Amino acid sequence: MTNQMNIAIHENVVRIVTVAPEGRLDAFSAPKFREKVLSLIADGVKYIVLDLSQTPFMDSAGMAALVSALKQCRQLGGDVRMVWPQADPVKRILSLTKFDRVFEMKNTVEEAVSSF
Amino acid sequence: MQKHKLRIGIVTTYPPGAGSLNEYAFHFVHALEQKQEVAEIILLVDELPPGQRYDQPDLNQLHKGVEGSTGTGEAPVAVAPLRFVPCWRFNSSLNSWRILRAVQQCKLDVVLFNIQFASFGDRKIPAALGLMTPALLRLFGVPTVALLHNIMETVDLKNAGFNYNPLIEKLIRLIGWLVTSIVLRANLVAVTIPKYVEILEKRYGAQNVLLAPHGSFASEAMPPSFDLPQGPLQIMTFGKFGTYKRVETLVEAFHLLQTKHDTALELVIAGTDSPNAPNYLENVAKQYANVPNIRYTGYVREEDVPHIFGEAAAVVFPYTSTTGSSGVLHQAGEYGKAVVLPRIGDLAELISEEGYTGEFFEPNSPQSLADAIGYIIDDPERRIEMGRQNYLAAQGLPLLEVVDWYLLHIESLLKK
Repeated sequence: MTNQMNIAIHENVVRIVTVAPEGRLDAFSAPKFREKVLSLIADGVKYIVLDLSQTPFMDSAGMAALVSALKQCRQLGGDVRMVWPQADPVKRILSLTKFDRVFEMKNTVEEAVSSF
Repeated sequence: MQKHKLRIGIVTTYPPGAGSLNEYAFHFVHALEQKQEVAEIILLVDELPPGQRYDQPDLNQLHKGVEGSTGTGEAPVAVAPLRFVPCWRFNSSLNSWRILRAVQQCKLDVVLFNIQFASFGDRKIPAALGLMTPALLRLFGVPTVALLHNIMETVDLKNAGFNYNPLIEKLIRLIGWLVTSIVLRANLVAVTIPKYVEILEKRYGAQNVLLAPHGSFASEAMPPSFDLPQGPLQIMTFGKFGTYKRVETLVEAFHLLQTKHDTALELVIAGTDSPNAPNYLENVAKQYANVPNIRYTGYVREEDVPHIFGEAAAVVFPYTSTTGSSGVLHQAGEYGKAVVLPRIGDLAELISEEGYTGEFFEPNSPQSLADAIGYIIDDPERRIEMGRQNYLAAQGLPLLEVVDWYLLHIESLLKK
């Protein structure tokens, strides 16, 4: 009698990409931001951390670019986490639009990454 | 796992109905029906006058799935079926009850309201009772989202068509406060201007108010031509006139311009009377019969809107007060037009918040308005530069994306 045991090993690596806009995110810069996120998604990324901690300004067009990223990731079965901004104009637009209740907000990138 | 698709009811006016916000509803619904999260849209509309009917799409055709584009990088999706349920009447006191009954029959996941303070009537009691509907539906377990296009705190009641004495104005403000408090009983209340969020949070302690920008109507970015047609330079105004949109100052300014300019000019007054001001434009035409080169277009069909805007050298906003973010401003931006605006609260804020630019004039001053129009028509380079900036601002946030904001908030709401 042989004492054989089959062991199946699967390694699941979740690819999480952090995107950190460090300049103004407004009507003029939002198209470039969208382009970057679209290229990531086309490359198979569906879990994204949006790190707004170094973003000095954001308007509703910038907010729309983040929402678009969230929607596309969720449609692919992924999701987005957001790291709280430091700058008041960015906090203001998040608060006005109440997207701080729609996005899962985290204090640090590490916390965001580990939450997926 | 397949996500549950939403059956969304929208309480609104809608073309060919002439009630206010009908154009916004048309574009909003057009954007919403392209979203793959939506199973069906049921329009809970006002009853039309005899001889008119809503253009009910062929459901069989729609169920086959018409390919649409979301314009946001998503794959094309089938267009959601649209159904009209006429269930309320302007100035009826029974609207809340009728809408509730219709909603219960339709079995909806969520009901959106596309409203302003006079949506349900120009008489105080029906108007106020109608505005209680979002709270009533919520009481009956139906999730509700109210898109409130104006708030009482920023409406100049006298200029908005309510000619009362100060005491009565105070009383109306008090009733407005009560009605606003009731509207805020909806699960979510969306407003189009940041200042409105701050006012509602501060004055009412509301925690359920969010900013959802007006959004631009164009779904595809088509850079406009800045060339103008041969013939007289057209100065255009667009809307429903007679309450806070009044053309007397504009006509007088146009008269001044004609006496001082060699260039041939035409004033195009595009649109109809406000439902609250019947025969207004007819009376204006009589009053200013001596001023030549004025064209009154009457109702502008959707397919004629691009021509009306495209041919204009400048778009003028002869508002005496504002009642919300201006759809016409967004349209002017989409067509790359220079705009002339009154120096009053909301519009000035909108300009700065959303990246638009314009010439400003003092309300009720024909000379100030004539000067502002003159700065644009006398300087083609300036006109084109302003048009280009307004075009970029309008492209910043299409309504197609604003609708996604609503859907994400609704998704969060329904998860609770």
